[in-house]
Amino acid sequence: MFDWVHTVPILSIVAYVPLLGALVVMFLMKSDQGGLIRKFSTGVVVLDFLLSLPLWFAFKRDGAGADLFQFKESHPWIESIGARYEFGIDGIALLLVLLTTLLGVLAFLSSWGAIRTREKEYYIFLLLLQTGMLGVFMAMDFFLFYVFWEVMLVPMYFLIGIWGGSRKLYASIKFFLYTLVGSVLMLLGILALYFFNAGGLLGWEGLGNPATFSILQFHEIGHLIPKDLQFWIFLAFFVGFAIKVPMFPFHTWLPDAHVEAPTAGSVILAGVLLKMGTYGFIRFSLPILPDGTRQLLPWMAALSIIGIIYGGLVAMAQKDMKKLVAYSSVSHLGFVMLGLFALNGPGINGAVLQMINHGLSTGALFLLVGIVYERRHTRLISEYGGLSSIMPLYATVFLIITMSSIGLPTLNGFIGEFTILVGAFDRAWWWALLAALGIVIGAAYMLWMFQRVFFGPVTNPENASLKDLSRREVAYLAPLVILCFVIGLWPGPFFKVIEQPVKYLVEKVDPTLATAAAQAGE
Amino acid sequence: MPSPQEYMLLVPEIFLASAGLLLLLFGTLLGLNNRDSAWVSGVALVLTAGLLFRVHGSVPGRLLILQGAFVLDGFSFFMKLLLLAATVLTILLSVRFLEEGKYRPTEYYALILLATSGMLFMASGYSLLTIWISLETMALASYILAGYFKHHTRSNEAALKYFILGALSSGIMLYGISLLYGAAGTVQLGALARGLGEASAAGNRLVPLGWILLACGLFFKVSAVPFHVWTPDVYVGAPTPVTAYLAVASKAASFAILLRIFYEGLGTLQVEWQGVVAVVAAATMIWGNVAALTQDNVKRMLAYSSIAHAGYILIGVLAVSEIGLWSVLFYLLAYTFITMGAFATVILLERKEYAGETCADYAGLAHRSRFLAAMMLVFLLALTGIPPTGGFFGKVYLFAAAVQAGWTWVAVVGVLTSAISLFYYFRIVVYMYLKEPTQATPVPLRAPALVAAIAFCAVATLVLGLYPEPFIQMAKASLLPLP
Repeated sequence: MFDWVHTVPILSIVAYVPLLGALVVMFLMKSDQGGLIRKFSTGVVVLDFLLSLPLWFAFKRDGAGADLFQFKESHPWIESIGARYEFGIDGIALLLVLLTTLLGVLAFLSSWGAIRTREKEYYIFLLLLQTGMLGVFMAMDFFLFYVFWEVMLVPMYFLIGIWGGSRKLYASIKFFLYTLVGSVLMLLGILALYFFNAGGLLGWEGLGNPATFSILQFHEIGHLIPKDLQFWIFLAFFVGFAIKVPMFPFHTWLPDAHVEAPTAGSVILAGVLLKMGTYGFIRFSLPILPDGTRQLLPWMAALSIIGIIYGGLVAMAQKDMKKLVAYSSVSHLGFVMLGLFALNGPGINGAVLQMINHGLSTGALFLLVGIVYERRHTRLISEYGGLSSIMPLYATVFLIITMSSIGLPTLNGFIGEFTILVGAFDRAWWWALLAALGIVIGAAYMLWMFQRVFFGPVTNPENASLKDLSRREVAYLAPLVILCFVIGLWPGPFFKVIEQPVKYLVEKVDPTLATAAAQAGE
Repeated sequence: MPSPQEYMLLVPEIFLASAGLLLLLFGTLLGLNNRDSAWVSGVALVLTAGLLFRVHGSVPGRLLILQGAFVLDGFSFFMKLLLLAATVLTILLSVRFLEEGKYRPTEYYALILLATSGMLFMASGYSLLTIWISLETMALASYILAGYFKHHTRSNEAALKYFILGALSSGIMLYGISLLYGAAGTVQLGALARGLGEASAAGNRLVPLGWILLACGLFFKVSAVPFHVWTPDVYVGAPTPVTAYLAVASKAASFAILLRIFYEGLGTLQVEWQGVVAVVAAATMIWGNVAALTQDNVKRMLAYSSIAHAGYILIGVLAVSEIGLWSVLFYLLAYTFITMGAFATVILLERKEYAGETCADYAGLAHRSRFLAAMMLVFLLALTGIPPTGGFFGKVYLFAAAVQAGWTWVAVVGVLTSAISLFYYFRIVVYMYLKEPTQATPVPLRAPALVAAIAFCAVATLVLGLYPEPFIQMAKASLLPLP
């Protein structure tokens, strides 16, 4: 039924529909047609989401080897340096693409009430951002990947800078500078890899292969790269990806950017942009630089664990709900990184799933905070109290998402965190112990916030007349709540889709472990 | 004695120089107005380009003429076309600017044509003396152009500074040339390289002194640190189209002779000068970018940015590899359109010669003219080196060349300083998009030539970014022989 998907350049279509939408808005619509622009651009992302759904059904779960990456497209681009226009996704990228198109729809819907100034520019930037993010997950050429990776910074800069809060100028340029510094250093790493594959560089003799930026080719030569070169390239990649994740101590841009960004910006930032960092580790650092990974493993684990605990503790001290959620992201992403650096099946499986979970639950949390902010124009926890009696539906949704975020069984967070802990325990028992401490802290700050905002008497008279969720708000929260339950109760299909890619990754990064596992299975 | 056929190969240069002289003569006699003079010079430039194509088509490969003083090769052809394109853009930028002032237009265009003919000779010069004389042809015309607004002290100051420092640097260069002549007994580049190799091996002390003095002069012309101090004052004081001309055409021509002299004349001393160029490149990138951080005047900021870009280009020079060489050519190409476009936008926003040049004048530009703000955004992104613009690819190739050649530390300085540059380029973006306008009146787009130049540069910047392949092929066909 979905065979036709393999015959059309579906990835390019999904990636460029938002771009086309942006061009239509840019050239055909006038700035005073706010309503039209709003509806049209939301229509575009809904269409894009619908177009991306067939990917899920047409994707071949058991595709290993050459079929690991599917829906491939390959065209010549800059032949002089061997860069090609290549798209393709494996199971991991598939999940992230779907997450991007889904959160895109929700972000657009959530902007309808919140954004009333310069709407034309707003929706143009939001649409361009969609294209940039999708391109990052789909690119199979490292150079193309890098182009999308940087292109995407520009619309995000404007979203924070124009429609952000009071410190928007500071937050937007900080976001841009941090990520740019990281990515230019990463670029040097890419170039080093490129020259090693081809003619060689510095004192290292190259492999003499045809010059290419193909990611699969780099995967093939990973084990041939000398250890010291791997170390340096790993560091270069690390700076780029770790700033994006963000890992401790590169996280300081995140609270500023999150707090100042408009709701839609925060949702996309937390839901998708941070995943680019972890995706970078999965796609590049681990499989291409297995020796570099193992050399720096203790450092990576230490930074992840510090991130988990430090992020949690700082979150606990926050008075602003959005800031609290922002710091909780630092903690959650620490989990993801720890799972990845367990370098075994469960750890990486859990990390990938937790990337999706974090996108759903943190996305939802930012949407929820945005909803009361639109009504009261404050996010201070102390301004609220007793909201459960005034906004019962809102409180229910908030509670479900809180539970998802702290990892209550039957909800998605539990599956992800539990699998990560299994993987971490397998690598070193004390990693799991410290990470479990992070879960306790996570429960503490989330529940404490929930208690202060929703329980007790209504202390602030301004809250007494707050309206409960509108239909539009229910509409954009419902998919997230449903998905939280779906993943929590029935994670099988999600693990199934990433099974082959994770197996492939484990083989690349830790061949000894992979063979041991295979023998144990026999 | 050179044969008359050899002079036929100089027809483009001779034609352009004559056009400049005739414009000077008849323009004054007939009292040509601004628009007519601009048309005449534009047509002269296009015809020169046509002649260039014919001459280049008739010369297979590389040809040395006039007793080895003048070379026809792919490199000179590429550079000449680039210089002509930059000059045409300068003319488009100048039309409205001269209309507002009360200065005579004919001489202005004539001087531009004469300076450009000097640049064409620079691109083909193959003996140090030919190069030096053509450099002076360009420089003398530029000094006058910088002071063209003779009623403004700023313009006078610019011209005077430029003249004094320029004359000093030319003198230093000439001194270096004479020392090299003393060591090698020739000024013809090919013979010079061999002679210097032998003299250097024999331990001749004139060699290091000579090439360092020569290099100082070249660094002055491309405004590399520490010989950059003239740049900000001259760029700010000169009429803005002249600034654009100096920042683009004059810089490109200077890089042409720098490459030619380092690669072909000093090829045997490669190891020695590479170290110096590395330090100069790093210092130029650091100082150019850091000093630009505090500038409030957009022209001054662009002046420092042009210093910084000279630093990036030096990375490619330093690599001494095929990729380094074509990346320099590609970068010069991209830089031409980006910088011309940026200055064109500045000119459109200027009123009465110098007003409207501070960052604050850009406040809320996105509300006042969506088109201009968007164009400026493209140029600033390109200057920062963000895809999908030509500036991004240009930088990537330069850094790639450095990584491949083992100059990783220079590449690291390059990427970090280009990240810093985001801060000052985006200050203008902040004013344009993130701040409210101080005046609500929309910016009128009444200068068709200027608007056309801006749009063309923006399209070129994006095309170079989205599909650079044909331009890389062009650059690859225009390489100098590596030492």
